[in-house]
Amino acid sequence: MKPIQFDYYAPTSVDEGLDKLTELGYDGKVLAGGQSLIAAMNFRMARPAALVDLNRIPELAYIKPTDDGGLAIGTMTRVRRVEQDAEVAKRFPLLREVAQFIGHAQVRTRGTFGGAIAHADPAGQLPAISMAMNANLLVCSKTGERWVNATDFIFGPFMTVLEPQEMLAEVVLPPNPPRTGSVYKQVSRQKGGYAQAAVIAIMTLDEAGACQNVRLVMMSVGETPIVSEKAVEILVGQKPSEQAFKAVAEAVVTGEIDPATDLHATADYRRQLVRVLVVRALTEACERASKGG
Amino acid sequence: MGAIGKSIKRVDALGKVTGNALFPGDINKPNQTYAKILFSNVPHARIIKIDASEAEAMPGVVAVLTAADVPVNEYGLNNMDQPVLCGPGAVKPYTDRVRFIGDQIAVIVAESEAIATRARDLIKIDYEMLPVVTDPLDAMKPDAILLHPDKGSNTFGHYLIRKGDVSNAFKQADVIIEAEYRTPAQEHVFLQPEAGIAYIDEEGRVTVEASGQWVHEDQHQIAHALNLPLEQVRVIYPAIGGAFGGREDISIQIALALAAMRLHERGIERPVKIIWSREESIIGHHKRHPYIIRSKWGATREGKVIAAENELIADGGAYYYTSTKVLGNATLMCTGPYEIPNVHVDSYAVYTNNIPNGAFRGFGGPQGAFAAEMQMDKLAEALRMDPVEIRMKNILHTGSLLSVGTPIPGQVNLEEVLRQCALKAGWHETPSGWQLKASMKNQGDDGSKRRGIGIGVAFKNIGFSFGYQENCTAEIELHGDAEIDQVILKHAGAEVGQGAHTVFIQMAAEALDVPIDKISLIASDTAVTGNSGSVSASRMTFMAGNAIRGAAALALEKWQNEERPTVATYTYLAPKTTPYDPHTGRSEPNVAYGYVAEAAEVLVDVETGELKITKVICADDVGKAISPNLVKGQIEGAVVQALGYTTIENFIQKDGYTLTKNLSTYVIPTVLDVPDEVESIILEFPEERGPWGARGMAEMPVLPLAPAICAAVKQATGVWFDEFPLTPERILTGIGEFEN
Ligand SMILES: Cc1cc2nc3c(=O)[nH]c(=O)nc-3n(C[C@H](O)[C@H](O)[C@H](O)COP(=O)(O)OP(=O)(O)OC[C@H]3O[C@@H](n4cnc5c(N)ncnc54)[C@H](O)[C@@H]3O)c2cc1C
Repeated sequence: MKPIQFDYYAPTSVDEGLDKLTELGYDGKVLAGGQSLIAAMNFRMARPAALVDLNRIPELAYIKPTDDGGLAIGTMTRVRRVEQDAEVAKRFPLLREVAQFIGHAQVRTRGTFGGAIAHADPAGQLPAISMAMNANLLVCSKTGERWVNATDFIFGPFMTVLEPQEMLAEVVLPPNPPRTGSVYKQVSRQKGGYAQAAVIAIMTLDEAGACQNVRLVMMSVGETPIVSEKAVEILVGQKPSEQAFKAVAEAVVTGEIDPATDLHATADYRRQLVRVLVVRALTEACERASKGG
Repeated sequence: MGAIGKSIKRVDALGKVTGNALFPGDINKPNQTYAKILFSNVPHARIIKIDASEAEAMPGVVAVLTAADVPVNEYGLNNMDQPVLCGPGAVKPYTDRVRFIGDQIAVIVAESEAIATRARDLIKIDYEMLPVVTDPLDAMKPDAILLHPDKGSNTFGHYLIRKGDVSNAFKQADVIIEAEYRTPAQEHVFLQPEAGIAYIDEEGRVTVEASGQWVHEDQHQIAHALNLPLEQVRVIYPAIGGAFGGREDISIQIALALAAMRLHERGIERPVKIIWSREESIIGHHKRHPYIIRSKWGATREGKVIAAENELIADGGAYYYTSTKVLGNATLMCTGPYEIPNVHVDSYAVYTNNIPNGAFRGFGGPQGAFAAEMQMDKLAEALRMDPVEIRMKNILHTGSLLSVGTPIPGQVNLEEVLRQCALKAGWHETPSGWQLKASMKNQGDDGSKRRGIGIGVAFKNIGFSFGYQENCTAEIELHGDAEIDQVILKHAGAEVGQGAHTVFIQMAAEALDVPIDKISLIASDTAVTGNSGSVSASRMTFMAGNAIRGAAALALEKWQNEERPTVATYTYLAPKTTPYDPHTGRSEPNVAYGYVAEAAEVLVDVETGELKITKVICADDVGKAISPNLVKGQIEGAVVQALGYTTIENFIQKDGYTLTKNLSTYVIPTVLDVPDEVESIILEFPEERGPWGARGMAEMPVLPLAPAICAAVKQATGVWFDEFPLTPERILTGIGEFEN
């Protein structure tokens, strides 16, 4: 199908873009890489009256190291660039690992880092990653800017706190403490296809080898990515063990996720996947952490 | 000399990689109109009334055609049991019924596709819903609702084979294996969804440019439905984006031709164009038949299979299509490439309200081979015998008697095909017979990952045959004075991506002993080319090669006699075959066969159920590789298609509705899902009836892969899977890791 008729604006600066968004209000929609939005428009699931295309705003595409050892990534940075960037690989090897699972090279070459997060697809990797990595998101509008933690940013399937006149401008990833290991695990029917279930684990060990902190995030098994509280409860302060990981998996499966049945898999099968992937992800994250991350 | 046996640049390559080649959807003509087809969207109903008044009144609508507009409202490749447009107003009884969701009801012609689509949605249909039957076992019951009441039964095809005495043989068997196998539907997913354009050509012919596999058969069906003499209909194939059997039956061709003809009659001289979406394509054309196969086989302690009893039930879907032809192949292939003294087969094709099932690469062979090869593996297991060893003990040789009681034609080197595959895959011959090397038996200890290897072997007929007189026509023109400067080859054979046109030119160059670049090809136009028969059943290289050789010999003779320019036409008629005898199944079914053996290595994650095919080895006796690269391309393509069939693809229909209507729900392998390694072993044991010894080969590698993968999964997990696709969920459920 073809989209309904829409107006198109291509601002060349952030200010110009924000002006346009304010002017358009509910009629306007940001176009980033278009890898989700254009398809949604073609299927008429999205019917914006006007698009504000950010692709001509070079100031929105960058990867900058922050002083504390983290990274600031401009929203229009292509996923492919994040995947290939040496500094990213050094500071957050997880990102490169995950990127390879996002669609195909063509999709990643167009799709943007911020756009994927703003899209808040419950089956998307980057919204889940931003939550697992505790990302801070810079949201701008004509009247000012605000910082939102990734966990607060997404509140439902394809739903974020962004107002129509706002744009996501930057994603800041805080540094990993020493002895942090991170892992991504997924199962999909087809390479490059959406995950039937996936798990992200980021674990920090203290000097004595006990779990100092853990972020465990499940995706494709609920309406949003799910950050596990049970994992923190069970693991933090404890020596990691297979038994503990299994206890986390059980607690996650019985209490924290809410998978759906669709044509690709039943809810029960997704639960089974999470049961297995949680243990695998935690085990590997712990191994990596103990090797220094 | 020397034009064959080497991999020349494909003659269609440049056009296709530069975008210059015109596929049907790329063809536009001045002043064209756009058509949409209204599907029934319900699986079984009687149409009481069609109200198209609003659609007709809509500005921009040129015409709305319904059943009453179709001169002879029926079509079908093997049996004309399908209405062109369903609805009241036709003479033929029961034409007012729809029997699956893709039944066509109206053709809407408009100034734009958007208008045609909107007009389509304005058509109101008054249905009387009928009960829906989707399970062929239910459809076979005496009280089942009849899809075609005039036929008296939903079972529309039945074959049997009676060779020897199975019940007596079972008494002598040391082991008996019984099982029920289920094979799934499969969608072709050719790259180019159905599209075409129809118009009245300069000579007044109703002309359709669309994709297909047999221009003359399309022409025949269009002419029949439009009640026109054959020569008043012209079918041309432009570039075709894949076929795989999925274009053997009519999709849009008659609807387009009808529209062009009716517009012309109304004084509207405008071409009519249509492009189906992927969703329309998936609903609108047939699938590979799902089969239920019940097998009971017995063998002696020494591993000799002495009895095979099989019952096959094919879900034919709503219409006849090629079901009985497919069934004929499955009936022959369900006992595998083995010489078995006592055989008892009953096979049935049954109407249901599912999407019709029909031709798909392998054409009944993969379904039959699955049951046969699984049976062999299970017999081997029961006898504690190696799977290669048991196959070697039973395999067809030159002169072997087939299940149908007649010797297999030509030289059979299947033992060597299997040997080469087995050796490459990790088997070796020991004094006590074939064994898998110890290093390959290791099931892997990588935590939850288990390795396995399996092997399968198959034969597949070349051509439709079973009594059908295979034929193929070629015409050759020679131009020049002292020397042949230019050759024009006219041939109807369709280039569906397999490389047929390249091979035609190679064979013509070889036969005429002229350089390849002197030959130009005029192809696939009923107004210019003679009947070639279909590009299907792995037959075209074989048939076209024989036709081209014949035409070349005639042409050279005329050239010698100084006829300038020389024109020679030759129709190759393959040796006669016979259909199944209705009481015994005895027949001489086919002209020739191709032979293949395949081994698959897999990695199974027993906690997630994920299955990865890491390596496939395919040994294929192709007789003569006219173009080795194209042969390799066919092998690799077939492996990926068979891998999808076995593991990833999952076509789901519920109560007659298709749930997997697009490529996000009907998932197929991408280039990233192909095995790490696909090794083609091209063997050339000449087929005496084939041109330069060539056999057909394009379907063969599809046949043994599913059972080879299932055998590998068995080795990895200890569990037999008698049904596929092997989705992770099915694997996990099967190995008892998880209950659903
Ligand atoms: C074939 C294919 C396969 C794919 N597979 C995967 C996969 O496996 N995993 C996965 O995660 N994704 C997958 N995707 C989606 C892909 O990752 C998209 O790139 C991503 O979801 C959206 O990013 P985008 O830059 O293309 O955003 P767009 O499509 O341009 O926009 C998406 C939405 O976010 C909004 N938006 C974008 N940027 C901003 C901003 N700066 N401020 C405010 N709002 C904004 C838009 O208005 C729109 O609503 C696939 C896509 C395709 C086409």
